[in-house]
Amino acid sequence: MEDELIDIKNTAISFILEAEDLESLEETKLQFLGRNGKLTLAIKNITKVPPEKRKEFGILANEVKQTIEDELETQKSRLKSQKITKSVEKIDVTNPGIKPPLGHLHLVTQAIEEITDIFGKIGFERVRYPEVEWDWYAFEALNFPADHPARDDWETFFIKGEPDPKRGPMLLTPHTSSGQIREMERLGKPPIRMLNIAKCYRRQSDISHAPMFHQFEGLVIDKDIAITHLKGTLDYFAKSFFGPERKARIRPYHFQFTEPSFEVDVTCGVCNGLGCKLCKEGWLEMGGAGMVHPNVLKAGGINPQKYTGFAFGWGVERVLMMREGLKIDDLRILYSNNLDFLAQF
Amino acid sequence: MNIKILDSWLREFVKTKATPQKIGELLSLSSVSVERIEKYNNDFTYDIEVTTNRPDLMSVVGIARETAVVLKQNGVDASFLPPKFIKPQTPKTDLIEIKNDPALVNRLCAVVMEIKMGESPKEIKERLETSGTRSLNNLIDVTNYVMKVTGHPTHVFDFDRLDTKTLTIREAKRGETIKTLDGKDYSLSGGEIVAANDKNEIVDLLGIMGLQNSVVTAKTKRILYFINNNQPTKIRKASMTLGIRTEAAVINEKNLDPELAYDALLYGIEMFEKIAEGKITSDIIDLYPNKIAKRSIEVSLGKINQIIGVNVDPEIVLQSLSGLGFKAQIVAGKIKVEVPSFRIGDVEIEEDVIEEIARIYGYHNLPSILPPQTAILAYKFADQFYFEQRVKNAMKYWGFTEIYSYSMVSQELFEGPLGEAVEIANPLSEELVYMRKTLVPSLLKVISENKNQENVKIFEIANIYNKRSKDLPEELMTFAGIIKKSKVTFFEVKGLLEQLCGDLGIKNLSFKTSEKSGNGASVYIEKEYLGEIEILDTNLIDFELNFALLIKHATLKKEYKPLNKFPPIIEDLSITVDTDVKTDELIANIQSQSNLITNVSLKDSYKDSRTFHINYQDPEKNLTNEEVSRVREKIISSLKDEFKASVR
Repeated sequence: MEDELIDIKNTAISFILEAEDLESLEETKLQFLGRNGKLTLAIKNITKVPPEKRKEFGILANEVKQTIEDELETQKSRLKSQKITKSVEKIDVTNPGIKPPLGHLHLVTQAIEEITDIFGKIGFERVRYPEVEWDWYAFEALNFPADHPARDDWETFFIKGEPDPKRGPMLLTPHTSSGQIREMERLGKPPIRMLNIAKCYRRQSDISHAPMFHQFEGLVIDKDIAITHLKGTLDYFAKSFFGPERKARIRPYHFQFTEPSFEVDVTCGVCNGLGCKLCKEGWLEMGGAGMVHPNVLKAGGINPQKYTGFAFGWGVERVLMMREGLKIDDLRILYSNNLDFLAQF
Repeated sequence: MNIKILDSWLREFVKTKATPQKIGELLSLSSVSVERIEKYNNDFTYDIEVTTNRPDLMSVVGIARETAVVLKQNGVDASFLPPKFIKPQTPKTDLIEIKNDPALVNRLCAVVMEIKMGESPKEIKERLETSGTRSLNNLIDVTNYVMKVTGHPTHVFDFDRLDTKTLTIREAKRGETIKTLDGKDYSLSGGEIVAANDKNEIVDLLGIMGLQNSVVTAKTKRILYFINNNQPTKIRKASMTLGIRTEAAVINEKNLDPELAYDALLYGIEMFEKIAEGKITSDIIDLYPNKIAKRSIEVSLGKINQIIGVNVDPEIVLQSLSGLGFKAQIVAGKIKVEVPSFRIGDVEIEEDVIEEIARIYGYHNLPSILPPQTAILAYKFADQFYFEQRVKNAMKYWGFTEIYSYSMVSQELFEGPLGEAVEIANPLSEELVYMRKTLVPSLLKVISENKNQENVKIFEIANIYNKRSKDLPEELMTFAGIIKKSKVTFFEVKGLLEQLCGDLGIKNLSFKTSEKSGNGASVYIEKEYLGEIEILDTNLIDFELNFALLIKHATLKKEYKPLNKFPPIIEDLSITVDTDVKTDELIANIQSQSNLITNVSLKDSYKDSRTFHINYQDPEKNLTNEEVSRVREKIISSLKDEFKASVR
């Protein structure tokens, strides 16, 4: 009886090894392990085994069954991989792949997403305010004197129509700073931590100016906000956006809506601050910043005796150019929408 | 505005051993931006940017004063050597009378001198040429040299060519004509400040440029040296309108210190004596109707420290303020300053004084600290910007390229009646006049400008501008796209919008035959109009949607339904029906026949035959064939009654 089991095992193994495809392997499996399979039938004969040997017989029968099943499994995976190998051999892997569609986001969108993320991490809330704006928000409330050059026809686009008796003429906002008063009005009182990113318009069109461009404006107002906080914020931005090796500095400048006012510089990425043709003694100008002018706080309904704040407004296109070292001859190509140009980004 | 000066010229007014590089570096950090330092023979030139609030720094003396203070604060020995202005002896004769208009000119200083016309000495020429001013002759050179040293523009007439007893300062009348000293003719628009002679002929365009009829020539023997401190806005307007942007005009349109006018007169007289054999032949005329008021400001030490962010030493504060020309003292915990005349234009409030203190202390000496979060506010994850970015990314991964085009369009690209347009009053060009009311024409322009591309998929998300009466226009965020591809189908665009809305959690999107144009569809979310799909050509389809409405309905909320335990029975039903019958009506009809129908979709359509894919499912048990066939019969008879449809 035991010899019969060993026989079945050996026959089964040789059948398994000879199987050339998955179908004949399946047949072999049925032949031995099926309901009327050889092994199944042999095991049923256990009744003919003397009782004292039945235990031993049972153990052997299980071993045989296990061995056959293992062999079947091994041969099955061998045959499967053979099948794949056969078809792979017919492939030229250097032929082009079948690509899912992939378009392009505009450079400005990519920069805005990154800027939003950087400032979002330190609690700045993104907002968007009108592009067509009243003089009040764009100039008057921002402490611009009536005769300031930015308010004349040569620098700012005005909209045809009667001026509002209180808010003055309608215009295309030349900076995101017009959002400062709007944000103060929206929140009513500090703390304020605004990030306003929007389209701006100036009456200029040359290789380094497009009549439409984008700015991002930060505004922080709270108790005891100091110049040191402005420095911290812009150092954080410069390191995050331009890379940890770049340095930032602030130096005196002049804006109507901030006092003190600063110009913010970042070390030139081309010469690493040593000085080259592209930069000014190692520095590139990023844009303006300053402590919010008390007249601006007052115009926004905030008591300048109680609160102070800082603000900055920088060009999205400008920081992009400064980082990428993009040697774009004419900034206006960003809005000319040459698809070959856009496909590079 | 920029000023270029030689290092050696600067050192005439500041004594220091600091190198030009050190001076440049420290000035940039605490005062004016030194944009470039270049070697010039054995000397150096500084190219310095001056902000418009500091016309006093458009001068060698002004820069020297700042240099001395900044160097000292940073531990470098330096002292300011201000020029001495001495009033000369003058004869008591009046050779000319000047009639001023105080509404136009704040201060007017003049004197008549005999001179000898000639060339300037080498040093003067070199200093002027390196500063970007061409040396012409000693007379003109003196006027430019004095302007560079003191910061106040000056002018010189040929006294004999003026040939007049009085010089009247008045506003020009519209249509009056002048010929400037460079030979160009201008017709004035009125309001320019001019000087007229006895015959009421204009002999000077004040503050901007001299005129040919009174300019010095090789024959000049006597001059009227003339300094006018003007109303800056009048100068700005005239200079911009006429397009004459001389250095004098750029400086005169800022708020200039009238005290400087007299200094400039004295400095000039000395220069004429030195390099043009000048002799004074008249008394000095000094008309000064608009004297500047003194100003003092008090600021507490506590406020200074709060704004700067560190505690500064009051003694050092006093030192730097007095170096800058302020009279400063500490009174009861406050710093009291008297503002010098040359800073009256820009130092008005406490914060202005704090700026002076802070910059001289040095922003580079301050620590960098992130502002503390003082309030706990809820963070909103899925705001409008989140969905905007999500849509843009979806479009990108579906093969679209994003476009940014100008918000302003030409009359040709503006769609609709011009009366409804938000129009720019002072456009830069005809291309950019009207604020657009649709994005599609701008996108079509991109298509036509990229003719070489056969397959184009582009989109833009931007505002459109709808005019409102007596208010700002409505700025409506709009989303438009175009597919250019041979044999593009309506269903590609429809499918795109369906998937997009699906991703934004928007249900109940419907498409109706467009009422606007024959070819295309109007798109709705429930009853709200979302936008339009337009078939423009066999290879061109566009869509334009109200993006704000899309965002309003967008949500990340998902609804969980328990999975069905019993398998569905799925079968196809082919019918023949009139082509005018809409598929969505047929689907709605089928769906309404039984709540065992869980899904109906159009599988195929050809001419007047349509095949629907129908799922039957019961959440409670396995469906039997009998149950399904009962429903099927009901569908068939309903379609027959409602739409005269027959089973194929």
